[in-house]
Amino acid sequence: MTELSETSSRKVVLFISIGVIFTVFLFRLIQLQVLYADIYGRKSEENSIRQIARDPIRGLMFDRKGKLIVDNRPSYSVTITPAEFHLSNIDFLSEILHLDAQLIKGKFDKGIKYNRFAPAKIKRDIDFQTLSIIEENKDNLPGVDYQVESKRFYPTNARATHLFGYTKEISDQQLVEMGNEYRPGDNLGATGLEAAYERYLRGQKGCELITVNALGQMLENYNEGRNDVPVREGSDLYLAFDADLQALAESLLADKRGAVVAIDPSDGGILALVSKPDYDLTSFGSITPWDVWKALNTDESKPLFNRATLTKYPPGSTFKMVLAAAALEEGVINTNWRVNCTGAFHFGNKIFHDLHTHGSTNVVEAIQRSCNVFFYQLILKTGLERWTRYGRDFGFGSPTGIDILEENPGLLPSEEYFDRVYGKGKWTQGYLVSLSIGQGEVGVSPIQMAGYAAALASRGYYHTPHTVLKIKDKESGQMQIVPTETRKLEISDWVWGVLQEGMYRCVNETGGTGQAAKVKGVTVCGKTGTAQRPHGKKDHAWFIGFAPRENPKIAICVLVENAGFGGAFAAPIAGLCIEQYLYGTLIRNNPKEIIAASDTVKENETDR
Amino acid sequence: MDTWFKENIDTKTILAVLLLTLIGIASVYSATYDAGASAFFSRQLIWAGVGVLFMLTIMLIPFRTIQLLSYPLYGLSIVILVVVLVGGKMVAGSKSWFGIGGYGLQPSEIVKVTTILALASYLSQRQVNLQWFKHLATTFGFVFLPVILIVIQPDVGTAIIYLGMLIVILYWAGASNFLMLTLLAPVAAAVATLFGTTAFFVVVVLTLVILFFLRENRLASAAVFSLTVLVGASVQFIFGKLAPHQQKRIITFLNPDADPLGAGYNVIQSKIAIGSGGLFGKGFLHGSQTQLNFLPAQWTDFIYCVPGEEFGFIGAFAILLLLTLLLIRGVQIASMVKSRYASLVAIGIVATFATHTVINIGMSMGVMPVIGVPLPFLSYGGSNLLTNMIMAGLLLNMYANRKEY
Repeated sequence: MTELSETSSRKVVLFISIGVIFTVFLFRLIQLQVLYADIYGRKSEENSIRQIARDPIRGLMFDRKGKLIVDNRPSYSVTITPAEFHLSNIDFLSEILHLDAQLIKGKFDKGIKYNRFAPAKIKRDIDFQTLSIIEENKDNLPGVDYQVESKRFYPTNARATHLFGYTKEISDQQLVEMGNEYRPGDNLGATGLEAAYERYLRGQKGCELITVNALGQMLENYNEGRNDVPVREGSDLYLAFDADLQALAESLLADKRGAVVAIDPSDGGILALVSKPDYDLTSFGSITPWDVWKALNTDESKPLFNRATLTKYPPGSTFKMVLAAAALEEGVINTNWRVNCTGAFHFGNKIFHDLHTHGSTNVVEAIQRSCNVFFYQLILKTGLERWTRYGRDFGFGSPTGIDILEENPGLLPSEEYFDRVYGKGKWTQGYLVSLSIGQGEVGVSPIQMAGYAAALASRGYYHTPHTVLKIKDKESGQMQIVPTETRKLEISDWVWGVLQEGMYRCVNETGGTGQAAKVKGVTVCGKTGTAQRPHGKKDHAWFIGFAPRENPKIAICVLVENAGFGGAFAAPIAGLCIEQYLYGTLIRNNPKEIIAASDTVKENETDR
Repeated sequence: MDTWFKENIDTKTILAVLLLTLIGIASVYSATYDAGASAFFSRQLIWAGVGVLFMLTIMLIPFRTIQLLSYPLYGLSIVILVVVLVGGKMVAGSKSWFGIGGYGLQPSEIVKVTTILALASYLSQRQVNLQWFKHLATTFGFVFLPVILIVIQPDVGTAIIYLGMLIVILYWAGASNFLMLTLLAPVAAAVATLFGTTAFFVVVVLTLVILFFLRENRLASAAVFSLTVLVGASVQFIFGKLAPHQQKRIITFLNPDADPLGAGYNVIQSKIAIGSGGLFGKGFLHGSQTQLNFLPAQWTDFIYCVPGEEFGFIGAFAILLLLTLLLIRGVQIASMVKSRYASLVAIGIVATFATHTVINIGMSMGVMPVIGVPLPFLSYGGSNLLTNMIMAGLLLNMYANRKEY
């Protein structure tokens, strides 16, 4: 480069070098693709190695006592490999499988488009007889094969339909989105824990290289399996869940619509999550028959809907502790502040009723007896801003963050909300009166209510509700502990004492609205609620509570739709659940009768 | 406008780059085809779009700015390399330190460009003379600093690319034939030794003959000759001391056919893919080797098999031709520019493309050892494609400013 002649000579050297490389490569290409094309072509056709994908076994689920609650069972799927399959065999195959020939043709065409060398599933979960017919006719049916897959099996009588969720075949849309991790015909979690923990449960596909002969029959693992990619099994989930409690709660709600959520107040672990009506997950185990799906989808009682996390109903009087906490903590009132309840409250030109005339009432008694007039007056003193702030602290108005994907944030009105909906200055204090007793424009879900009950139980520790405590990696055998998210509500200890005293009396003392939740030998605390519905429809019954008061082990929320008073319909269910969990079994017999008997509470029900 | 376009835009380079990129995208599409387009394909498409924008932008940056930024950019890229090395270890061995919404950037790719710029900047200074040991050592230092950091990562393939690039730049910068021989003869001897004693002697004799014709100082010639023999002999010695399985590894590295079931598996499958493509190929998405995924990571290092199988000799030859034309055009640009700096940048880029191409295509056709480096503009990989586009942009920039000193 230093001199011009130098540069041009070096340029020539570089050109020659490039030329030499080009020529060498060109000759090599001609050698491979022209001279020896036949040899390599044959090698490629005879390429005696087939890649067989090996599906991992989906992770299992265990409950808090180590009981296996979600298991797998083998299931056989018939596949065809389009490149090897003879279309003339379609009718024969259709006869064996009792499958429409057109449908097989459709799957065949789709298979060609995807990858003509990859086996495409044409029928899942065949019976053993069909399997043996295919095995016998293997030589007559080139390209037809079967795969062993697994389908979900639920060994206990806890259905937990909405919590466990189901898996379903990946859609074309998802296939595009998920890239190379899935293949057509793969199952993936669609709802509940199956969906939320998909990446743990799924495991990782493996593949085996297997040598085959000219007929396509498999001979042996290529290279003694050294080039295989081993399958990684899915991780197991260890849940906070209690299968016995779940089964009992399900039986108590059997012919009703509603939900039960029970939480361990010490860590936010979900002990039970029931939504009724539900459906049998085993019918979703490997493939869902179209008619089953359609029936579920069009059912007026909405069995697919997770009432425990997606409903948005007014909480009724169960919400009164929010206002009580705000007023006490902010110094608006103390425990001596009293209201004389005359059975009604006049505000502007409106009358707000109470079911009873409670007389002179302080905050503890107001919670015990569910006095509305007390809270009507209290919210006017306390104001919407504080009510909203404390409501938010208790987890309302936003998703709780439970570890399943289906969740509704609910609605917790604030000043901004009313300004937005009704316009600034166009709403009055009268709007607040209903809110004070949990009616009107406030919507909550049972999971939010259970979280609220757990915070009341633990005196202000709000643990994000979660089902999975530990995840076990099958390869390494390591247990990964799912961290608990916790925040502390800034409410003084004496305030919690007051609230708990009111809730204790509500269940255990005369005049309390929640006496149907009483459990022998256990200090149950609770609060009833009734979500009013317009036009004379039957109200929704609520109950929240926890026990034992001294060292809470369970916090619970019960919702029974279209039932009536919370004290009559929700409280007895909560009592039985607490009994089951704390004693490990029911000490009372005939739970159905206990629930039926509480119908009479109706007469004394003071809660509105 | 029209004359400006003709004067400043090198359509030959642009055309070659765009055609190669399109073939690359189609090949990635086929290699990762799974019931439709894969995420690999859409990512590659996005990177290609971003890359073309980069190429055109860099083409339009004032030439002087690039020259002035050469050292700062080099320094910055070395710092990033160190941070990735240290930081990457902290994040559980993942190199995703430079992640932008799932689109990770591999710094070792972009450092190739900054190293070329810094080398060109240094070697274009008037007072630098490669006959002086101090200047030669500094030149080596510019390259060895990133190479050491990359080998630690470890990424031996990329390190080899740097050495190829260094050799060509030195030659272009005016290193004497004697210096080139001093550098190349011992390396050739070391490699030849592994192929056997005969090959070793051929290299030794060849070195002797060339030394004789160069007529350098006798003492220096003797030193180079002894060095060559010594390196060859010590490699032989070390090889003999290795455990049998280590020896086998080196042998299969150099000659994959020696172990058809293990290390040779990829090369055999790759040759079957290309060979079975024949003259016209098996048709897009119809290559049984490609669609059955006989080759692991076919969308990156073995991408050349995909067009080779599906478009046959016609496709494979077209790619080879396009790459060769790109290299020739690069050398032409390096010769026509007035600025010594621009010329060295252009030749560095040509050398980088060439090393990648030779190693990658050679490996796919079974004439080179298996070293994992991507094929320019064709292999899947965002960082690599972006770096190649930046280098193409620099070539275009040098062309547009060819009259500047």
